[in-house]
Order: sequence, then structure tokens, then C-alpha cells
Amino acid sequence: MIVIDMGNWARMYWLIPALFIWIVPVNAATGELSLEELKVAGARQSVLRNQAQSESGVEIPQPKLDQFREEIRPLLTTHCVPCHGPEKAKARIRVDELDPNLLEGTDVDWWLEIMAVLGNGEMPPPDESELTGEDRGKIIDWLSGEMRMASMRRRAMGGHSSFRRMTRYEYNYALQDLLGLPWEFARDLPPEAHSEDGFQNSSETLHMSVAQLETYRSLARKALRRATVRGPRPPVLYWGVSMEQRGQIEWKKQNAQFEETRKKFKDDPEKHEEELERLLAESLKPRSRAYFKARSSGKTVPHSWSYSGAKYAHKPSLTAPQIPEPGDHIAVLPPGWNQKLVVELGEKLPDEGMLRVRVRAAGRVSDGYRTPSLQLEFGWQASNEGRALLPVGGEDQAITAKPDAPEFYQWDVPLGDIYPRNSVRKSSPLGSMPNPSEHIRLVNSSASRGEVQIDYVEVSAPVYDEWPPASHRRIFFESPNSQNESVYAQEILSTFMTRAWRREIAADEVDRKIRLFRSMRKVSETFEEAIIEVLATVLSSPDFLYVVGEQVVEHDAAADLEIPVAAERLSDHELATRLALFLWCSVPDERLLSLANQGQLKHSSTLLSEVRRMLEDTRSERFARHFVRQWLDMQLLDFVKTDRKLNPLLKQAMQREPVLFFQELLRRDESVLSFIHSDYTVVDERLAFHYGIPKVYGNHFRLVKLSPNHRRGGVLTQAGLLAMNSSGEDSNPLKRGIWMLESLLNDPPPPPPPAVPEIDLADPEIAKMSLKERIEDHRNHAACLSCHIKIDPWGIAFENYDARGSWRDEIKGKPVDASSLLFNNEPLNGMDGLKRFLLENRQDQFVRALVHKMCVFALGRPLSFADRAGVDEIAAQVRREGDGLATLVERVATSELFLSK
Amino acid sequence: MNVSKSNFKTLDRRRFLCGTGWALALPLFESFSISKAWAGATSPNPKRLGCFYFPDGVPMPLPKDPAYQDWAWFPHGDGADFDLTKCMEPLKPLRNDFTVISGLSHVAGRNVHGHNNADQFLTGAATGSGDMDYQNTISLDQLYAKQIGDETRFASLVMSTDGGAGTARGAHTISFNRHGRAIPAENRPKRIFDRLFVKNDADAARRLSFSESALDDLLEDTRRLRKRLSSHDQASLDEYLQSVREAELRVQKAKQWINTPLPSVNGDHLNLEITPDEPRVYLQTMFELIYLAFKTDSTRVATYQIGRENGVGISDHLSRAIGFPNAHQLSHETKSPNGWENFGRYCRFLHEEYGRFITRLRETPEPAGEGSLLDNTMLLFGSASSAFHLSRNYPLILAGGQNMGLNHGKYLNHAGTKAYRGGWKPGDPEPWTKQAAQEDLPLSNLFVSILQRLGVETESFADSTGPLEGV
Repeated sequence: MIVIDMGNWARMYWLIPALFIWIVPVNAATGELSLEELKVAGARQSVLRNQAQSESGVEIPQPKLDQFREEIRPLLTTHCVPCHGPEKAKARIRVDELDPNLLEGTDVDWWLEIMAVLGNGEMPPPDESELTGEDRGKIIDWLSGEMRMASMRRRAMGGHSSFRRMTRYEYNYALQDLLGLPWEFARDLPPEAHSEDGFQNSSETLHMSVAQLETYRSLARKALRRATVRGPRPPVLYWGVSMEQRGQIEWKKQNAQFEETRKKFKDDPEKHEEELERLLAESLKPRSRAYFKARSSGKTVPHSWSYSGAKYAHKPSLTAPQIPEPGDHIAVLPPGWNQKLVVELGEKLPDEGMLRVRVRAAGRVSDGYRTPSLQLEFGWQASNEGRALLPVGGEDQAITAKPDAPEFYQWDVPLGDIYPRNSVRKSSPLGSMPNPSEHIRLVNSSASRGEVQIDYVEVSAPVYDEWPPASHRRIFFESPNSQNESVYAQEILSTFMTRAWRREIAADEVDRKIRLFRSMRKVSETFEEAIIEVLATVLSSPDFLYVVGEQVVEHDAAADLEIPVAAERLSDHELATRLALFLWCSVPDERLLSLANQGQLKHSSTLLSEVRRMLEDTRSERFARHFVRQWLDMQLLDFVKTDRKLNPLLKQAMQREPVLFFQELLRRDESVLSFIHSDYTVVDERLAFHYGIPKVYGNHFRLVKLSPNHRRGGVLTQAGLLAMNSSGEDSNPLKRGIWMLESLLNDPPPPPPPAVPEIDLADPEIAKMSLKERIEDHRNHAACLSCHIKIDPWGIAFENYDARGSWRDEIKGKPVDASSLLFNNEPLNGMDGLKRFLLENRQDQFVRALVHKMCVFALGRPLSFADRAGVDEIAAQVRREGDGLATLVERVATSELFLSK
Repeated sequence: MNVSKSNFKTLDRRRFLCGTGWALALPLFESFSISKAWAGATSPNPKRLGCFYFPDGVPMPLPKDPAYQDWAWFPHGDGADFDLTKCMEPLKPLRNDFTVISGLSHVAGRNVHGHNNADQFLTGAATGSGDMDYQNTISLDQLYAKQIGDETRFASLVMSTDGGAGTARGAHTISFNRHGRAIPAENRPKRIFDRLFVKNDADAARRLSFSESALDDLLEDTRRLRKRLSSHDQASLDEYLQSVREAELRVQKAKQWINTPLPSVNGDHLNLEITPDEPRVYLQTMFELIYLAFKTDSTRVATYQIGRENGVGISDHLSRAIGFPNAHQLSHETKSPNGWENFGRYCRFLHEEYGRFITRLRETPEPAGEGSLLDNTMLLFGSASSAFHLSRNYPLILAGGQNMGLNHGKYLNHAGTKAYRGGWKPGDPEPWTKQAAQEDLPLSNLFVSILQRLGVETESFADSTGPLEGV
């Protein structure tokens, strides 16, 4: 164990878990093993795996008073008490009177002061006493150990309630599942804060305010109105746009040029001929930007569009257009950045219902492997400043059809999800300013060279496959009582409330909502309107918004009192909700609720099979997305600037890779050690190109085998995670080191010191240094050393990856030096060395850290000392059962910790 | 821009109040008293308050540093005789409309690292550091809004670049309600504009009646649920309970405004979808929204936190406007070549946009009163740290409010030559832990003066010791 001088940060140091590091001696021979072999070899050394089973029970921390008496007190007596004791009591502190029991005593604040002055070297004054470095370390070591336990004790005593409101994203999914619509419902809620652990669903950070409450109410009403319909089926508007029509303005312009030439040179046939030829040649020239082409003549004209006057807008019709045969005219979107076809639709697109876009298209590529792809965007421009351009089509469409046989590709976009819409579309007439018109854009989003040809675009809206739609009938279901308003209201309300509140609803609760219905019905025009108002109230109630851990009460007949009982275990309904929030980030489905009603859910076999069912359900993608994002602190990637250096589509791919990789491990129940290293990853063409992996074509993600020369594998080398821990311009070893310690090893270094000492770039000697040298120089300051010695070596191991996560061998002409010495003077050599070190020495720590993080997410609260035994127990089971990720999730979801309050 | 004049005339509002019988409103409005109603009738000038916060302090190079002359934030000089440095140069044309103040800070936060202190800038509460219990108190703006809020459709406008409430000691808002709870700030211009100027529901009266019965019902749900919770969880649920009660008050207030038409404001000159990815235009838009809200008398109280502390979140990237990736980093890299200047240029950028906003107010006549909008609007702009996250000697600019008796064109240099300056060398104790060479005056004293000028009858705010002399 290395004892670290804690320097200036002692004040905060005691608040965080142990920073001490266990070193397992490295067998020189293992240097020969591959990383995959190291996973196996390292696992053999696992203490957790070999630990005796189920020695559960919480270890009660005891103060180390013996050590204090034998080792610490004599030192304090010699070096501190002469000035801070019975004789002098300088600064009005008497060290001899402090209570050495930090766990129960009341002098913790004084001990903190002492730890600070010792750590800073401020005390004892050098001329008064000669406290050796070793003795100083001894006192600090004892103090920090006691502080740690005391802080854990304090946390444990604070209670560990998971009572909280749903997060913004959980609220959104809960509405999606309740209403049966995969739409966006939570947009207006304010952004959520992150807890110190990096989690958003932590009971500590989820607060409520009046603004928030009002937003919930209006969101619920909007969501319910979107899910239901009023009146007869609205007529569908159709736009059938052939490319001959679409290119009219452009062709006219070109023809006008020909016409002008004829007029200009009507007296000079020779010149006229010459000029015509020039124009013709011009029109036949290959183009690098989007253009229209008449295939018979081979003539082309550049695609153009401008918003003013809505000159490009096409008129809709009320009948479905006749689909033309593939004609002479096509729009061509050449390869390259942002080549697009704009189809302007005017101001008549409705607010709700489906926008259906069908495009007849084909791809043209230079070789047989590549497939171009098409993206759908929605936009409008009201004036110079007011405009929007939104990706709305979801996944890109791979255009596999060939030019001689174009095919239709279709997008369905819920109009109510498009935000923002052109706000003047109902107030300003078409053709005037501000411009009320809206348009779609079809963008060639191919990563590699591939051309998209389009000959026909059909748009229709609002499309309803059924009327009334299923979401409407889900609320206003068929009932023999549908003509009797109060009976029907009762049926609707009790059905809806059970789902929304995730429990059995008492009769008086329904009655109260019926009373509310009656009072609202008086001022409502229709039955449906009043019901929606009441349901919106159900969805704004704390019974919906909060994750409730109910107090169990027993009725004392003698005293006629309800007496609270300290329940250890969750009720079935609470369990159903906790499971649903964990694996679906949402409310339980009907099956979970009915199992809970029957009291079945807690049976271990039922529970396990439900967990497996839930993981197989597509809703578990939300778990992957939100857990990975919070576990790896990926919000940092959101802020990475996308400029010319970082294509936004590449950044999107970077954002997806860690999540898809997690899903892959989960699906295969593969070892969680693959997060440290794996011989495959999940990429699309852009990311593969970024990684230098050849022959990956198309914008869809797929599993790709890695070989060592790709220098990738596991999350440590994923580009997004490397990029987000960079400064934007260069790598940032410090950020990367801290991120790895925090996210992967759950071993956060002390919080950043209040004033980070600067690297003095004004010093010419320092300005000449490489980044690594600067860091090392900076670390040599005594004040910085203690912290940096724990961080820097890890971060320097990442140096072969630049700010965008690309591999590099050189920095400014100098070879990359990614080697450094660990705290125990063992060399750590680049990324490979880092992975080797982790796989050889840190497997247990990593697995325990991942279990810890997943438990924080699953329980929705920070873990305390009291939870540590539970985490260790799960980690040990996972290790014994082969480290599978699905195993880990199952073990968490069936653990004592998860089933307990 | 065309604002239909009849909408915000005090006369109309008063007629509305009479027409609906404002006596009825008396029990609903905590602070609405007859004397104030009469006071309002005699003076046509509204009194407005705007507060602005930026993080990370300001450049404080030592006098011997070559950057001192140009890039120290505080002016050189004292009283009416002072020179603005390049940091504040954009405000030069407004010299007679503002006062720079040094040597003030909140007492309770002085020994706390500056990263923690945005939360207490307008409250003066001991919000502390680390994991100590956190209890904030009402902020200056909300205290004023409590008094004046019922005069306008919106009691206050709370905005920030980062949005939401943020976290304890990492607030994304500088406004805190009477319970000391953070008021989530709005960061999307479109939402602000729509809330202020776009009618979202034709049958608002019916809506309010729905709201009234719904809130009653929610209160019932909450009471019922509360009984089933442990006392610890009950305390958490009380936030919800409190929110329902406040929502009820809002409904009562909204009823008062239901028949008053919204001001008609043309937002064509604004890109309401702008995000901080385009920092300069974003700042301009946010300032313009406050200007419009003031001009239409939609509210008389506004706060805008330009950035949160500690260099995280989108606001830290506002410095991209002048080519630097992170604003917070600038405050740390003052020893790099041009370090002070770079940091100063960022401050200058903020002052350019802030100055544009003040100018807008100055050039707009008070719609139903005397002087300009600026004459009737008091503006406080500042940060809760000066040098190196030292929570002392806050950089402060007090502007406008001439009709409330403010005289400007001066530098109230309370810090003098003893203000802490310079960076920090490794090995030295950090500036914020050092013994200060002199004690600042309590910032709360300035707040008392501000409140008094605004017509709030008070002798104290938080830990004040009296009003600030010379304001």
C-alpha cells in the first residue's frame, strides 16, 4: 500500500472513498500473453471470485483507538501538545483534549483542521519541532482512515431513501408506454442536474418547483390531446412532385439564358452558334453540387432554392396523385458534404398526424460494395434570422436500388414531434414576409462516395392508418357503457389510474377523480375534453410523478392507530416499478402489474424470468442508452464542438458506439472485462474510416472484428470517450486519467483543488516542453505531486490518441511518448500497457466499480457504507459466474440490495 | 418592432383593476396594500430591476504587470475621476449611466472558494462549500418581485444560459424563492418569447377554472400520499406540496390578468431558435428579450445568469465568440502569453453585449412615464469573485435608475490599493484562504440601497449593516 501525502486537499479528501491502491506483483512472464489471455489469467487472481460465498452481513466500522493510543498520541504529545496543550493552548486549541473517536465523537471538525495543517506542512513550525515525513504520514494515514469511516457512518445514518420523482427521460418514456406512442413528450421540462456520481436519477438531485409542476400539467394535457382525436377524420393533403416539376424554375432560368443569347446575337449567327455551344457545354459539364438532369439530352442545371416569396412551394391536392412512370428528369445528389434536394410544401402542413414522405430513388456507386444513403430533414425559414432545420427521419435509408430500377423509400414522421414549426404558418399568407412556408430536405448522407438519384417525391399528411387511431381507443376503449357518461368515466379512470399509478387503486381515490370529472364536465364542451383534463391531473399527481417507497403500517386494534413498521423489503408493486425504471426507464407494463397483483413477482424464478423478458424487450435499449451515458459521463461529448475538424455525423457515431457496444455485450452475456479490451467493436462506415478499418460500407452500425494493428478495443479506445476528455485542440491526459479513475474504477481522485496551479506558459523553458513534459514539470511542485501522481500516469498512457481519438505516432514532429511510471515506479507503457495493467491487477476493482455504478442507477440513489457489502456480494457472484454483463444485470436485479427498501 | 401602445398604459391597467374590483384581490396578494396602490397612482414611473451574473471573476493583474494598465478590470482612479480600461471600454459612451463599485462582497461567502458562490450572489446566504447542509434564502430580485410582481403579468423573468436549476453550489439560476429554493431558469429564447407575448390558449378563463379544481385535487392526492410516507420522504414530498400551493397562487393572479390582452410584439428581428453555439447572437437575443419584457411592462424584474460557475456546461463555451474554447480556462491561464489580455477580452465581449442592452434601454422613452426605460430601470451586473476565485471585492456595475435617484459617472472605489491582485504560485496558500489585507463592505448594504430606491420599505437585507453610502 502506498501512503500518499495529501497536500492541500486534505480538507476534502476524507469525503471520498479510499484512494489506496493495492498492487498485485506482476509476473514477468505474463508480458508474453495476449490481452485476451490476460483476461483469463487475471481472473484467476481474483480475490472476489475466490472469496468464500455469502458471508453477508454488514461490517460495523470501529474506531482504531488502540492505534491512536500506541502510535498517534505519542507523536501528537511530542509535536503538538507543547503549544496546543495545557501550557499554551495557542489558537485556543488543545490537541490533548480532542476525542480520538471520530466515529462517535464531536471533534471531527478540529481533526479536519489538524489534517489540513499537517498536510499543508503549515504545522508544526519547523523551528519548534522536527516531525519527520514518516511520522507526519502516519498521523495523516490514521486520520484519513478514520475520517473515511466516519463519513460513511454519517451517510449510512442519513437513511437511504429512493423516494424521488421521475427524471425527465423516465417521464417521457412513461408517457410513451402509457399512451402507446413512441413520441417526444417531455421537451419542455428543464434539463436535469447530474449527481456527484454522474447519475441523473439520483434521489438527491431531483427536485420540484412550481414551474416544473405547471410544466408537467401542460405536458400531460398536450400528450393526451395528441394521443386522442376529435371529430371526423381530417382530409389528407398530397404533394406529388416529379423532378420535371421540381426543376422548373432552374430549367426556366437556363432556357432564358439560351433565349437571351439568341436575342443578343440574332444578327451574328456565327457568334450565336459559338455562344450556344458554350452554354450547351456548360450545361453538360459534370457537377459537384446537387443538380437536375434531363437524361435524354444529358443536360443538367444546378439545384437551387431560396425562401423568399415561397417561389419554390408546391401546391397540395386533396386526391392521391397518380404515380408517374420513371421519367426523363432526375435530381442528382452527388457525393460530398450536404448535397440536398429541397422540396417546399407551403404553409398547409397540419399540426398533428403523420407526415409520410415517399421518395423514388436509386444509388449510383463506383464499386459494388458501397451503398449511398439518404437522410430526411424538415425546415423552414420565416425571415433572415428565424429559421430551423431539423433532422426528422431517424435512421438513414440505405439506397440499394440501381438507376435502371429505382424504388420507393419511405419515412413516417409524427408532425407533432417536429419542433419548432414555422410559427407564422397560420398568420402570414403564402408568398409574403415573414414566409410561412415549410419544406423537407433530402440529403445525401453517404459516408463514402456514392450518388443518389431521385425522380419522384410524394408527401402526404396527415396520415392516419386507422380512425380513430389505436392510441385514442386505448383511452376511450369500447364499452357497453359508453353512452352512460358517469359509468364510462369510472371505467376509463380506474383503468388508466391503475397503469399510471402502478398499483391497485382504492375506491375512494377513483371517486374523488369522478367528482373532479363532474365539476370539469360542467365547463367542458364534450365528455372527452373533461376526461382528458382529469387524466392530465392523474399524470400530474405525485402518485404518478414520484417513485414511492411506501411506509408499511400495521393497524393496532387496541389503540385504533396505524403504526408504521420498518419494512426491509419492497412490496410487489414497488418492485415492479423499480424493475421497470431500471430496465425500461419507465413504468411497469400490464404483465408486471398483474404479477405484482398476484404477489408473484418476488418469487425468485418469476423475478429472474421477468428480468430476462424485460432485457429481450426493445424497451431495454433505453437502459443501455441512459445507463451508459451516465456511467461514462457522456454528457461531456455533447459539448465537444463540432466544427470542420469533427463532422457532426461522425460525432453522432461516436455517441452511439459505447451504447451499441454495451448492448452487444449484454445480448451475448459477454464478460464485462471486454469493456477494458475486446477484439471487436460496433461501428458504421464513418467511424470505421476514423479508426482506419477498411471495407466497412454504409451508415448502419455493425459488429466489426479488430486486429491488434487497429489499436482499438474496449471503451478506453472509443473515439467519443477520448474526444470528450480532450481540450478540443489536443488530448488532455489529466481529464482522461480522472475519467478512467472515476468512471471505470470508481476511484475518484480528490476533487480539483480550489485554485489549480497554473502551468506558467510565459516561462520560455516551459513553453518549449511537450504536453507530457509540462505535466511532469507541474507535478514536481510539492503542492501538486500528491494528487497528480495518482492521475497522470493513467492519462499519459492515452497519449497516442489525439483530440478526436485518432491514432498518432507523432506530436509536432516528435514521436509520441506515452510511457510513464506508476506510483510504485512500475513502467506503464501506452494504451496496451494500460490495458495489460488493468487486466492483470485491477479486474476485481473494475467489476466491483461497474456493479457499484449499476446499483446506483438501479436504486436511483447514492450508495452508502451500508450498501458496500451488498455490492461486494453481487460482484463476487458475477465473478464466479464468468463476468457476463447480462449475468451482472440479473444479479443486480435479483439482489438483496435491489429487493430491499 | 411595433408595440401596441394601449396595452401597457398604466391607465389601462388601472382601469382593469378598477373594473374587476381590485378590492377583491386584496386577500390574494400578500403585499398589495392600499397605500401602494395609491402610490402607484401618483407616480407614473415604473421601477424595474435587472440583475446579471457572470462567473470566474475578472482580470486583476498586479500594478507592475505590463497588462495592468490595459487589462485590469477595475478602472484606474476614484470618484468621478477614473479611466476605464480596455475591459470596460465598450461602456465608455454610457459613462454617465453607470457606477463601478469595488470592495464589496457577501460576508458569509468570503472564505469560500469562488466556484461555490454564484448561488449566493443575490441572496447573501451562507451557502458554504463541500457537503455541508445547504440552505439558501430569498434573492434580491425575488424580494422585490414579491412586492411588485402583481403589478405585471409576470412577477419576474428568470433566465440563464445553462437552463434549469442546476445543482447546489452549481446553480444554473441566480434567483431563489422565499423558501430559498432555486427557481429554474429558462434558456430557450423561443420559450421566453412565447411565454411573454404569444397567446397559447384562446379559452384561458376556462383553463383557469380547470386549473383551480385540478390543483385542489392534486393537493388531496398529495395529502393522501403523504400519510403513507416515512418522515424523511414526507420532507421530500413537501417540495411538491409547496409547488401546488404556489401554483394555486399563480392561478389566482392569472385570473386578474385574464382580460388584459397580451402586448403585441413582433419578433421577426430575432432568431428565437438561437443556441449558445452562436454565443454573440445568443447573448444579444437574451438581452433583447429582457428589453422587450421591460418595454411592454410584462414584468419589472429580470435576472440572467450569463454563465454558471466552475467551467462546466454550455455557458463555458460562450468565449468561442472571441475564439477561445473555454471561458473558465481564461481565468486560469493568466500567466500564459497574453493571458491577462485574453481574459480581459472575454470580459470586454460581455461588456459589448451588455452595453448594447443598456443603450437600447437608454434610447427608448418610457412608454407611459418620464425619461427613458433606463431611467426607470436599475441594473446590477457582477460576479461573486475577483482575482483567482477569491470571493472578495466583487466586480460590480450598477447602472440606470436615474428616476429613482441614482447618480452615475463615478467609481466607488472601496477596495483602494489594498485589493488582492495577481495570480497564485504553487506552494503559496491560495488567495481565498489568505488573511485579507482589509475587510470588504457587505454587499448586502448595496442591496438595501437598491431596495430602498425601488420603494421597498426595508432597513436590511441578509447580513447588511445599513445602506451603502454614496449610491
